[in-house]
Amino acid sequence: MALDFSAIYPYLHMLFKGASITIQASLFALFCGLVLGIFVGAVRVAPFGPLRSIAAAYIYVIRGTPLLIQLFLIYFGLPSLGLNLPAFTAGVIGLTINSSGYVGEIVRGGIEAVPKGQWEASKVLGLSYMHTMRFIILPQAIRNMLPAIGNEFVTLIKESSLLSTLAITELTMVGQQVRSVTYASFETFIIVGLIYLVMTSITSLALQYVEKKWTVA
Amino acid sequence: MQNSLNDKPSTSAPALEVRGLRKSFGSLTVLEDISLSIREGEVISVIGPSGSGKSTLARCICRLEAIDRGEVLLMGDRIDGGRHSNRDIARLVGMIFQQFNLFPHLSVIENIILSPVNILGVPAPEAEERGMALLRRVGLADKRDARPSELSGGQCQRVAIARALAMNPRILLFDEPTSALDPELVGEVLDVIADLARSGMTMMIITHEMLFAKEVSDRVLFMDAGRILEQGPPEDIFTAPKLPRTQLFLQRMLAHVGRELVEAAADERRFSHGS
Ligand SMILES: Nc1ncnc2c1ncn2[C@@H]1O[C@H](COP(=O)(O)OP(=O)(O)OP(=O)(O)O)[C@@H](O)[C@H]1O
Ligand SMILES: [Mg+2]
Repeated sequence: MALDFSAIYPYLHMLFKGASITIQASLFALFCGLVLGIFVGAVRVAPFGPLRSIAAAYIYVIRGTPLLIQLFLIYFGLPSLGLNLPAFTAGVIGLTINSSGYVGEIVRGGIEAVPKGQWEASKVLGLSYMHTMRFIILPQAIRNMLPAIGNEFVTLIKESSLLSTLAITELTMVGQQVRSVTYASFETFIIVGLIYLVMTSITSLALQYVEKKWTVA
Repeated sequence: MQNSLNDKPSTSAPALEVRGLRKSFGSLTVLEDISLSIREGEVISVIGPSGSGKSTLARCICRLEAIDRGEVLLMGDRIDGGRHSNRDIARLVGMIFQQFNLFPHLSVIENIILSPVNILGVPAPEAEERGMALLRRVGLADKRDARPSELSGGQCQRVAIARALAMNPRILLFDEPTSALDPELVGEVLDVIADLARSGMTMMIITHEMLFAKEVSDRVLFMDAGRILEQGPPEDIFTAPKLPRTQLFLQRMLAHVGRELVEAAADERRFSHGS
């Protein structure tokens, strides 16, 4: 069987529009997930017992349950508590929370990889816990974490395809629509796959660049 | 003549006083009833076999370890984890580590001024000026903007000393400051420490450099199994140790150090006998 992409061309702009929704959702979740994740990770290693347990539980639950279920809980579950969120909002919140759990775990690892001597030197120089975290530990931890964070970003872009289950017209959803009108399933999803590949490749390259800059500096 | 606890710090109070200090890790007792006192301007060396508790003693003094019993007084002030912040303690006592523990993501000058600026509230230009003076003092003014990874071990340790001095502590603790260095770099660090000793800095130096300890210190403490077994002027400890434990340890150290100390000691004996 020969592949015929010509049937897809009229719908390319729709696919690109879907891709831009994917990018918007991913970027937003990426940024918010990073901020939230750094917070969760920092609390996870804090010397205050109860908070640390809460952060540990948060990370544990998020990493132990499927993203799809987390999305369903937010989109289909929350309305029974009277909270109706638009699909896109629900989707982005779900992605953010999910990502923050993984980032939190990465941050914990990154912080724990900073040698104990750095804490000790900070303490004898009079730095408080918060100062040590801010000036000494996090700047080094973030460097340790960059490769793993990069992976997490790439994963996030790919997993955002699950937003299609909330009928959000991101790339995968649009792909299904295009397929249903063109019947060119193979061609459609090859193109969709290629668009994802381009997005993840650009992300990887950008992160490699950042990583190089940070480690040289 | 001992100060009572609530006395104001006075010049007559020892810079450092440890009374009945006890420390254990789980069931392992590492320090048993340690008492010692260091006068202002005094330099003492602490020697003793591996595992005798030397590092733990230094770490208890600067509160990197909580103590189980006894007390530590700095400038006559009883150090108490609840009442004193890290900042309070850092203004009294500084610590130099075997592994330097410089901050690798900061330049040399940033390492030095971080704490004065952020903790003591010294304005940055002033802290930098002082930092540069300290760098000149340790002979590294040209390394101002270098990263620790670009420095040799000896240079790192000299930066670490400058960084500790930047907090203006009253006492400096050194935990084997040259043990992680290549032999040819030991000298430059010992020179800096000897210079500090001459300038009247109060110091407690844990070291395996017997010749250096002999040269630079006013008093030598020999520790074994969590106790201070013997102490006295270096001439006494090194040439006429009283206890068999001390003799045995020094013999072993001599085997490590080589013949230098034996010869130095022999010279001394020859001279003192000759006179
Ligand atoms: N955090 C810790 N937890 C458990 N045991 C410890 C800890 N720190 C030190 N120890 C033990 O305490 C004892 C004394 O250790 P310390 O490091 O004070 O000895 P040291 O005299 O400095 O030896 P060295 O010359 O090898 O540096 C050792 O038996 C050591 O294993
Ligand atoms: Mg030690």
